[in-house]
Amino acid sequence: MKLAPILWAASISAFAQTDMSIWDRMKPPKDISIEGFGSKIDALFMYISLMDTFYFILVCIGLFGFSYLYQAKRHPKPYYTYGNKPKHLMTTLVIGLAVFFSIDSYIATTSNSDLLNTFWNWPDPAKEDVLRVQVQGQQWVWNFRYPGADGQFNTLDDIVTTNDLRIPEGKKVLFQITAKDVIHSLYFPNYRIKVDAMPGRISRLWIQTRKGETGQYDIACAEMCGTYHYRMQAKLTVYSEEDYNRWNQEAREIAMVGNDPDNADNLWGWQWDITPKAVAQTGSN
Amino acid sequence: MAMFEQHIHEAPKDFLSKYVISYDHKVIAKQFLWYAIFFLGIGGMMALLIRWTLAYPGQAFPILGHLLFPHNEGIVPPDTYAALFTMHGTIMIFYAITPLLIGCFGNLLIPLQIGCRDMCFPTLNMLSFWFAFISGIFILAGLVTPLGAAAGGWTSYPTLSTLVGSPGVGQTLWCLAIFSLGISSTMGAVNYITTIIVLRAPGMGYFDMPLATWGLFLTAILNAIFVPVLGAGVLLLIFDRVFGTTFFLAGAAATSGTGDPILFQHVFWIFGHPEVYILILPAWGIVSDILSFFSRKPAFGYKATALSMAAITILSTLVYGHHMFTTQMSPLLTQSFMTLTMTISIPSAVFFANWLGTIWRGSIKFDSPMLFSLGVVFVFGLGGLTGLHLGTVTTDLYLHDTYFVVGHFHYTMAASVLLGGFAAIYFWWPKMFGKMMHEGMAKIHFWGTMIGLNMAFFGMLLVGYGGMHRRLYNPFVYDYLEKLIPINTFITVGALLMGVSQFPFLWNIVWTFRKGKIADANPWKVGTLEWAIPSPAPVHNFDEIPVVKCGPHELGNPALVGKDYQMQTEEIAKA
Repeated sequence: MKLAPILWAASISAFAQTDMSIWDRMKPPKDISIEGFGSKIDALFMYISLMDTFYFILVCIGLFGFSYLYQAKRHPKPYYTYGNKPKHLMTTLVIGLAVFFSIDSYIATTSNSDLLNTFWNWPDPAKEDVLRVQVQGQQWVWNFRYPGADGQFNTLDDIVTTNDLRIPEGKKVLFQITAKDVIHSLYFPNYRIKVDAMPGRISRLWIQTRKGETGQYDIACAEMCGTYHYRMQAKLTVYSEEDYNRWNQEAREIAMVGNDPDNADNLWGWQWDITPKAVAQTGSN
Repeated sequence: MAMFEQHIHEAPKDFLSKYVISYDHKVIAKQFLWYAIFFLGIGGMMALLIRWTLAYPGQAFPILGHLLFPHNEGIVPPDTYAALFTMHGTIMIFYAITPLLIGCFGNLLIPLQIGCRDMCFPTLNMLSFWFAFISGIFILAGLVTPLGAAAGGWTSYPTLSTLVGSPGVGQTLWCLAIFSLGISSTMGAVNYITTIIVLRAPGMGYFDMPLATWGLFLTAILNAIFVPVLGAGVLLLIFDRVFGTTFFLAGAAATSGTGDPILFQHVFWIFGHPEVYILILPAWGIVSDILSFFSRKPAFGYKATALSMAAITILSTLVYGHHMFTTQMSPLLTQSFMTLTMTISIPSAVFFANWLGTIWRGSIKFDSPMLFSLGVVFVFGLGGLTGLHLGTVTTDLYLHDTYFVVGHFHYTMAASVLLGGFAAIYFWWPKMFGKMMHEGMAKIHFWGTMIGLNMAFFGMLLVGYGGMHRRLYNPFVYDYLEKLIPINTFITVGALLMGVSQFPFLWNIVWTFRKGKIADANPWKVGTLEWAIPSPAPVHNFDEIPVVKCGPHELGNPALVGKDYQMQTEEIAKA
């Protein structure tokens, strides 16, 4: 057991290397989504964690308290009971129901309403100003496709980027996502959200950035997709409205000249409004 | 309850029929025990290689690194890393924990605790071990194939696990290994179920069985129903890989018609979620018994505990979809799976209440089996409660496929089941081998393992919430994960401590065989049937089939004189 203090010291010293506190290290990535998006997930997480802590402390009080109070030395005569008297059964039942109503029923209903009101409340490009992007995962890059001036996908004037997603702040962005080879998972740590990219299926996701959070962020692949899964990293650039428009204009011009009409690989996209059946059934829309 | 005469067979004499092709459930149990300990060692070494890579990316693994990876300066290469975590998961779940609790203790305890001379189908039992043995060869063979072992994660989702993502023969061997292990488990399960239904000693009702047998019974039911589903799934995967079918192929690779990779996930998880309970139910049963034995009072709410286990068994078959929230199933399915998942809390809470009720006002002795059992209550508390974050769809959108999941299932499956397995090993060792294990070394083993695993697995919960996702060779290519390096080092130190703490255990085994104190028939002074016969148990177990007159936890009855327990063959003492 002499090893334990040494190992302990080694792990403590690992934290002492920089001035960042352990609390800062444990924080999740910065939430840059609009109010009531990522914050809903964080709030629910905190609620569950608090309730977990409460019940776990109860378990520990029982576990350590009883172990101390009723050790054979202090308490030589055990209480002979089967624990099946009505008062015992009532206690057990009350504990079970207390857990269910204080945690489970609350978080299930909250999560459900969050889904219906936010995450499954799909923006409709026909009715509001939404940036549409098609995403294709392949080993081991993310391809993004923006419509060109014609507003159509899978035409020669599309802006196609690799590992490079640029979006304007404050605007809803709606993705249609698929995969070319194996299953990937499009993961936005800064929006607390991810969805699988599956070959043969189109999944959906929408995000909206809070105003004033321009900058560069990470996009990851969260589903094991082969040896270089860890390298499947894309960059997300959040522009202000005018910066985005400037970039978009330039990119469109480059695409007009740059896209090779003879290269069939360029046209991996699909029509946005394909039959609803092909879109994974993800909520009313 | 025995429906037919159980003959006493002559004890086998030669080495082959005594130790190798044995039909004796106790010998098969020991075979599974060594099998499990062997694979625990391999899986544990793999875990340390994985942890080293995450704590010190790009640095040579100490001592063994240059031996294992001579062409990469002793550093774990990324493709090997993928094979390592795949094999670690597969080996630990299917080749270490399953054989330990179900193979070893299922075989040992069921006939002894229900009072019969052997399993219903001894030949099936023998075949069950040898199929597992063949399966073990398949899984290890993958490691020496040219393109390496399976590397698609223990879940082996297509299309990564089809030829699109894994061209090597290692993945095919993985499928074959899982398929043959499925045969082994199914044979074992059929045997356990039949034995418990048919061969219970006269007088023993279902609610007179020890809770360990209850757990093993429910596990066997789940195994018999769901392992064949997995078998079918991997068989189709083998077809896709070898015969060119397209059950699970879609996208650019599906040139001759498409299947659906998500279909495999459904097939996998309808087995995979019950699998979690397949592993944990025996541990729950064992812990429930041991808590009662060492508190010297009856198990609190025995029937409620048994019925909660049964309720969880049923619920476990209805919630598998919570593993697939990010695949965007239909909203109706998503909502239903979340709601059903939440209901598991009620029987789980009943469980915990009964565990604490058992030690409440007991007279607790802290022998090593008891320490490990109390440890299970602690770690399963953490493991169960963190499951709430993942069963909730919205929080799962963030936490899915992060280390939070890894921490959660290590708490539930690795920590709880291992501690429960160790409790069982220390508790039943005298009955298996007739020697008492060394108590001091057992306690060192316990504290080292307990501290190490909590450092490691709680650290995983923290980095998971920090956003670090799973199965990354080097997570720190992401800027936002760089700050998590120290916590990852901390986890690795914990894992190392846990690994080092297994040496007292191994040494304890060797020491016990050489110098261990001879155990008497009933060293723990408890009343279940296996303690009524000599240690180690004779070949035919019981000279006479016992007649059961009371429940398994008759301890601390004030009407007893001169002792505080009574055997299940005695009438309950009345004041």
